[in-house]
Amino acid sequence: MFLGAIAGFLTPVSLFHLAWSTLLGILIGALPGLTATMGIALLTTLTYKLSPELAIMNLICVYVGAIYGGSRTAILINIPGTPANAATTLDGFPLAKQGQAGRAMGVATSGSVIGSMIGMFFLAMLAPILGNYALKFQSFEFFWLGIFGIIISGHLTAREDPLKGWIAGFLGLLVAMVGQEGIHAYARFTYGKTELLGGFALIPAMVGAFGLAEILSVMKNPPVEIAGDPKDSVIPRFADIFRYRRTIVRSGLIGTGIGIIPGVGEDIGAWVSYAAARRKSKEKEKFGKGSVEGLMAAETGNSSVVPGAIIPALTLAIPGSAPAAVLLAAMFIHGIRPGPMIFVESPQFFYQVVAMVFFATLAILVYGLALTKPLLKVLTIKRTRLMPVVFVLCTIGAYAITNRLFDIWVMIAFGLIGFALREMKYPMAPLVLGIILGDIVDKNLRRGLVLSDGDLTPFFTRPICLILFLVTLASIISSIPPVRRAFGRLWQILRLRKDQPGDLEG
Amino acid sequence: MIKADFITGLVLMGLSVYVLVESWFMDRLGHLNVHPLSVPGIVPAFFASVLFVFGLVLTVRSVLKGGYRLGTGDLARALAEPGNRRLVITASLTVAYAGILIGSVPFWLATGAFVFLFVLLFEFKKIQPPGERLRVVLVAAALAVSTAAIVSLVFERIFLVKLP
Repeated sequence: MFLGAIAGFLTPVSLFHLAWSTLLGILIGALPGLTATMGIALLTTLTYKLSPELAIMNLICVYVGAIYGGSRTAILINIPGTPANAATTLDGFPLAKQGQAGRAMGVATSGSVIGSMIGMFFLAMLAPILGNYALKFQSFEFFWLGIFGIIISGHLTAREDPLKGWIAGFLGLLVAMVGQEGIHAYARFTYGKTELLGGFALIPAMVGAFGLAEILSVMKNPPVEIAGDPKDSVIPRFADIFRYRRTIVRSGLIGTGIGIIPGVGEDIGAWVSYAAARRKSKEKEKFGKGSVEGLMAAETGNSSVVPGAIIPALTLAIPGSAPAAVLLAAMFIHGIRPGPMIFVESPQFFYQVVAMVFFATLAILVYGLALTKPLLKVLTIKRTRLMPVVFVLCTIGAYAITNRLFDIWVMIAFGLIGFALREMKYPMAPLVLGIILGDIVDKNLRRGLVLSDGDLTPFFTRPICLILFLVTLASIISSIPPVRRAFGRLWQILRLRKDQPGDLEG
Repeated sequence: MIKADFITGLVLMGLSVYVLVESWFMDRLGHLNVHPLSVPGIVPAFFASVLFVFGLVLTVRSVLKGGYRLGTGDLARALAEPGNRRLVITASLTVAYAGILIGSVPFWLATGAFVFLFVLLFEFKKIQPPGERLRVVLVAAALAVSTAAIVSLVFERIFLVKLP
């Protein structure tokens, strides 16, 4: 079926769409202020008249391209093009300053391509298994899956202060309560306004939270200058790939795993891969000063999150990242129903998605080798000229799907509130996840309560429920400062004990 | 951040109480004989209760660090910062364009005016030589015209998207 899906996209029209949308994704990723989430949200509007397969392919190409494109900016101007490339700046920019900008870009290209391929392999292998297993899920499991997603996403995206991540997640859940609920079609918090009956549409909310909020953030901060100019070759060196093959595989696995966790995303994938690479490295001292290994880990990690994040989106209708959340919304707009039934209702679509990731990965490899100088020109565009144009696109993006001026106001409101929350260090990913999961948690909690006639026992005794509940509880308890400090001390004691016998033997 | 946390905590608690009250008085659909545990207000009330606890923790945490000592000095200092001035201008322009101009005047006119003003307000400076100032005005005008024309054509003719 996979080969059939590959063959299905080998048409001039598909290849044309593949080419322009991946290029657009790379440009979106490279330009500070434009993120993958925003790019996918805007393109959902542009492509909604296309066939579902072509439209989703365009969005996946933008997704893969944007996460890769952000590495260029991280390497050349020390500003992550997207939040996913923050870890890339640590070693990418020092390499550029050492006159190895081309090599750094080659490392980023090879890391991104291999990372995407690793993630794609697990997407093809794991998603059918997870989908098959999810068919056994009942309301109790889906309720806990939603709560687990919010808590874990809040914990991992606001590691310094998980409370803020959880607050963002529950605010998202509350936002999802506006409009007609899914069991009795009762209109909640609508106050007679017909525009609110359908709730807040996800695309305008995302365009606001990721588009307008980002524009405000870019304009608030000082302008950036290009510091590195690639004079050396951007062709990836096989020696770099072979030397750091373990780091690549480890980062790919970590990234895919992080991607599968609901609402966590590429930035965390990159940071965790980077931290793991540093811990295992024989050249720890080079990290932060231009380590090829560090750069490879960050780029492999963030790119492998992309297919990883699509796994829960397709199998459970729960996105693994913010861009995957928009992708999920776009699938619904196009009449595709992700969830456990997708393998029963339209298995061919699943293999088409795998093929889309495959083609997008090949496209970033081609563009990665060919697009160096033109991209530098794009990076020199003044923000005072780029941002108003981007905002015009945001406005159209919010309006065009339902043709309601009300959605433009939704975009503005989410943009302003989103900006304020970001300034106060509230992560956006749990908020978005909350908006998506609100309906799932709402329906499944009430259905579960009705099924058990008010008995809470099944929520805690069914095996999957128990595991999800315990992990959620552990996440909350481990975030309480005294508990965290006690675990830290315990960890130090254990490490000292582990080190001591070695010292004595030496 | 501690002061912001204090205010945010209070706002969250207020919002939670509001949602709780609204949920309590929400129709229980008794006339439809729905199960009492599937009434529409039950889940919003659950979310609001959790959010109230989070808001309370945030408030208590900031109070312990002195976050309740609010003053107007910080606000005045913040507004004087160049970054925040740029922020206020950007926010005002975007809200005026998307919230007021769009829907009131033709899309191409609103877009052209917005782009022109945006570039002009950020790039035009009195200390620039006259030639440079003229160049900024011309660049702003060119970008405004091209954006309005290209966006209108591409969206309406190629992507068949209806513009506001």
